[in-house]
Amino acid sequence: MSNAPAEEIPAEEIDLTEANEIIDKYLTLPGNLMPVLQGIQDAYGFVPKPTIDLVAERLNVYPSQIYGVLTFYAQFHLKPRGKFIIRVCVGTACHVQGAERITETFFGRLGIGHAETTEDLRYTFEKVACLGACGMAPLAMVNDDTYGKMTVQKVDEIIETYNARPMK
Amino acid sequence: MVNLTIDGKQVAVEKDATIYDAAKACGIKIPILCHDKKLHPFGGCRMCLVEVEQMKGRLIPSCTTPVTEGMIVQTTTDEIVKARKLVLELLLLKHPIDCPVCDAAGDCDLQNLTYEYKVNMNRFVDEKFNHEIDYENPLIERDMNRCIHCGKCARICDEIVSYGAYTFINRGIEAKMGTEFDGPLNCEFCGSCVSVCPVGALNSRPFKFKARWWALQKTKSVCSYCGTGCQLTLGSKDGKVLTTIYDENQGFHNGQLCTRGRFGYQFVNSDKRLTAPLIRKNGKLQEATWEEALAEVTSRLSAGKSDPASVAALATPRLTNEELFLFEKLFRGTVGTDNIDHSAGFAHEALTKGAVASFGVAASPAEIADVQKSKLLLVVKSDAYETHPVIGFEINLGVKRKGIALRIVSDKKGKLTRLPGAKTTVHAPGSEVALFNALCKSVIDQGLAVEGVAGLDALKAAVADASAEKAGVTAEEIAALAKDFASAEKALIILPIGQGYPGHNAALANAAANLAILTGQVGKEGAGLLIMGEKNNSQGAVDMGIYPKGTGLNAAAILDGCANGNVKTLFVAGENPVVSYPNRKKVEKALENVEFMVVSDLFLTETAAMADVVLPACSFAEKSGTFTSLGRRVQNVRKAIPAVGLAKSDFEILNAISQALGGAGYNNQGEVFTEIAATVPAYKGLTQACLKDEGAVYPVALSAKLVPVAAKAAAPAAGKLALVTGSALYHCGTMSRFGEGPMYVCPDAYAELNVADAAALKIGEGDQVTVTSGTGAVQVAVKVGKRVPQGVVFSPYHFGEGSVNTITDGSEVTYVTVAKK
Repeated sequence: MSNAPAEEIPAEEIDLTEANEIIDKYLTLPGNLMPVLQGIQDAYGFVPKPTIDLVAERLNVYPSQIYGVLTFYAQFHLKPRGKFIIRVCVGTACHVQGAERITETFFGRLGIGHAETTEDLRYTFEKVACLGACGMAPLAMVNDDTYGKMTVQKVDEIIETYNARPMK
Repeated sequence: MVNLTIDGKQVAVEKDATIYDAAKACGIKIPILCHDKKLHPFGGCRMCLVEVEQMKGRLIPSCTTPVTEGMIVQTTTDEIVKARKLVLELLLLKHPIDCPVCDAAGDCDLQNLTYEYKVNMNRFVDEKFNHEIDYENPLIERDMNRCIHCGKCARICDEIVSYGAYTFINRGIEAKMGTEFDGPLNCEFCGSCVSVCPVGALNSRPFKFKARWWALQKTKSVCSYCGTGCQLTLGSKDGKVLTTIYDENQGFHNGQLCTRGRFGYQFVNSDKRLTAPLIRKNGKLQEATWEEALAEVTSRLSAGKSDPASVAALATPRLTNEELFLFEKLFRGTVGTDNIDHSAGFAHEALTKGAVASFGVAASPAEIADVQKSKLLLVVKSDAYETHPVIGFEINLGVKRKGIALRIVSDKKGKLTRLPGAKTTVHAPGSEVALFNALCKSVIDQGLAVEGVAGLDALKAAVADASAEKAGVTAEEIAALAKDFASAEKALIILPIGQGYPGHNAALANAAANLAILTGQVGKEGAGLLIMGEKNNSQGAVDMGIYPKGTGLNAAAILDGCANGNVKTLFVAGENPVVSYPNRKKVEKALENVEFMVVSDLFLTETAAMADVVLPACSFAEKSGTFTSLGRRVQNVRKAIPAVGLAKSDFEILNAISQALGGAGYNNQGEVFTEIAATVPAYKGLTQACLKDEGAVYPVALSAKLVPVAAKAAAPAAGKLALVTGSALYHCGTMSRFGEGPMYVCPDAYAELNVADAAALKIGEGDQVTVTSGTGAVQVAVKVGKRVPQGVVFSPYHFGEGSVNTITDGSEVTYVTVAKK
């Protein structure tokens, strides 16, 4: 995900007020780049390009360096992300319990692959190395909700559940 | 000093040296890929591993390990060689072996080390990279498949150029050298990254497929653009200059060049060069022989000898010292006219009049080395960086590495204003003298003036009513700046001058000098005033006396003389007044009116096109001689290629004319230099042979005194914008228009507006506008940004089309209206 190029979004479509407030908060502190970028990601759900230009100008850091930081850390995202982040564990324990089939099923049902987002911005899907709950393998998470002992049938139930949730 | 043993040799080095430095100092070569002497040690390539007896059990990177007393180092054991071979194998795993089509072949550290370490097979197998090659710009090609991740491009762009175009992006196996948003390279194209790239990942596109490195003839010379005096090595083949070659040991700048020096050399072999003399017949310039052309010129000048006041001559400060000396001797001596000048006299008065009045010598009291020896730099106009980019690099280095304080007084913001800790005082256009007077007053009021300076009472009286407001800044800003400057241990003022800077004249040089003298910031290392002449030999032109003396006319008066018929014969050596002198219409009228004009130049410039005789002149690459840099360094220029077509050097041209008129003749330019060394006091005792590669800085004996100058009040015009002219980074004078490199990046004139003004005028980026002043109108494209303050419009002066001198008249500020076409 973090390797993806930044989405081209016209500056006027992004309200920079919140980004400016976040920068104001950290402006005079040393080592402020990371918290500023994290704050922006919290506020916007990802790090939009116009905010990178803004941070570069206000913190006097090269945009290239910010891009280097954003692509180094897996925590940052340069594209809009889904409202519901589905993570399926493919660590050893989950793998032997059939995690591959679970991911394949999600791919088929959602029509997206690893680190991709549905066009309606409802779902982002990610394979992750370990979610730290091997006893419940195979495991999936949707945002902060955990689903253990996953089956193909449970995939459909999860999708139904979250399809029913409002987007706003 | 620290003593250590390397490969059995006893070595003593400074305590901050690394093992790599120490080995290099005693002639032991340690292979390395990620090192450049200008950059901070990186330790990334692992080629320079060595064994240290006191650190047994592992191999040590020599480029990041400081020396310690008694260290015993081995640089080539079996184990080290094995480790280096492994590094090479791993690098070659991903690196394409496309040396036959790689432009770096022959100049590639990876290729050379592979050869040296005989890595003819690889124990590992992996896929090669498959990155898209960036061909988006015409100057730098980025093939990241060949990149070995040494990071030198990113480091030089950050540490020295301060542009920061590159960074490592992504991570792990995906990591690569990238740009912001992984897009195409979008920078100032200085090519520093290309110069330090140890492989063929970054290539100069103009040089692509032109020649193999080993086939190039290398000639050390001096760049012929600005006055910095950067040394460069020209790579030539078959009578053509094909590239400039990087040498980290060359010059004060360690081989660093700007975009003009690196990519601007193509004017030398431009197909627009004049190759034969031209004589105007039936109103048209037609090819002629040298005999005809010179006969015409000498007969006119010979006739002029009986009425020397009717003869005038203008020379470009791009000629060599020898040519300028001959020029002066020919016109002032043989023809007998005092009407000689260079670069319009306008801004160059800062040296010829200003420096003489303030310091007693027509030269800067400081030299370039003082930039990094200072504790505080006060830069006048932010674009000191744009006129003299390599001095900008020196400022960057000083500020970032040595913590030198940076203060800028400017009518707009520029790259320097973004350096760490830089404070910029943005003043009203044309109020530089008022600002310096206010600073002087503040120094006096705060009791910071040095006691007993000559002329103090007169200065006190003259600046009594100076105020910050007259310069459009606050009293607090002035007080703080005055205090910082006066109380700095060593402070240096950097003042760029040039044709594009009306108002950067004698008065400004005096006003700036007053501040330096008043605060005792003169006559010591790292302090004083650096007056930066615009052209490569601006200082030499002053030293050779190319300015009017006595009743002689200066350039502006010469043009008036042409217009009113007093000047009948005009000799122009390399100048292009039509585009570079103020008030283009007036210049054109004057030149149309003069009876006889001869122009020697490389190109049929706008001025040459109006001449009666045009003489094809040689470029700097086709002749030898000396240039004197703005830091008073006299340097050897060396002939790299034979003359293009029938072109002759200005030395040959002037020498032939001089002899025909019964003046002195010389067998070669070296004889002229001998005469310069005997007759020009500052050059006393110099010989071209003793200048060698590094050149020699001639000394100055200062007699500093305060010279009060009155600030002219610029009267703002209601509803109009203040036009500030100047230099664009990619250009220098009007010659760079014949370099493909500069023209790729900055091909046309433009006007830069503040976002607020642009919005008010409903003008957008790239719109064509008409800029109108009292003297004319010009059509240019618009750039919109935050660099220029509200109420100000900036435009560079170099261009023939959309030439800004159509609307300027030489006054400090021109008030203009800007309207969408």
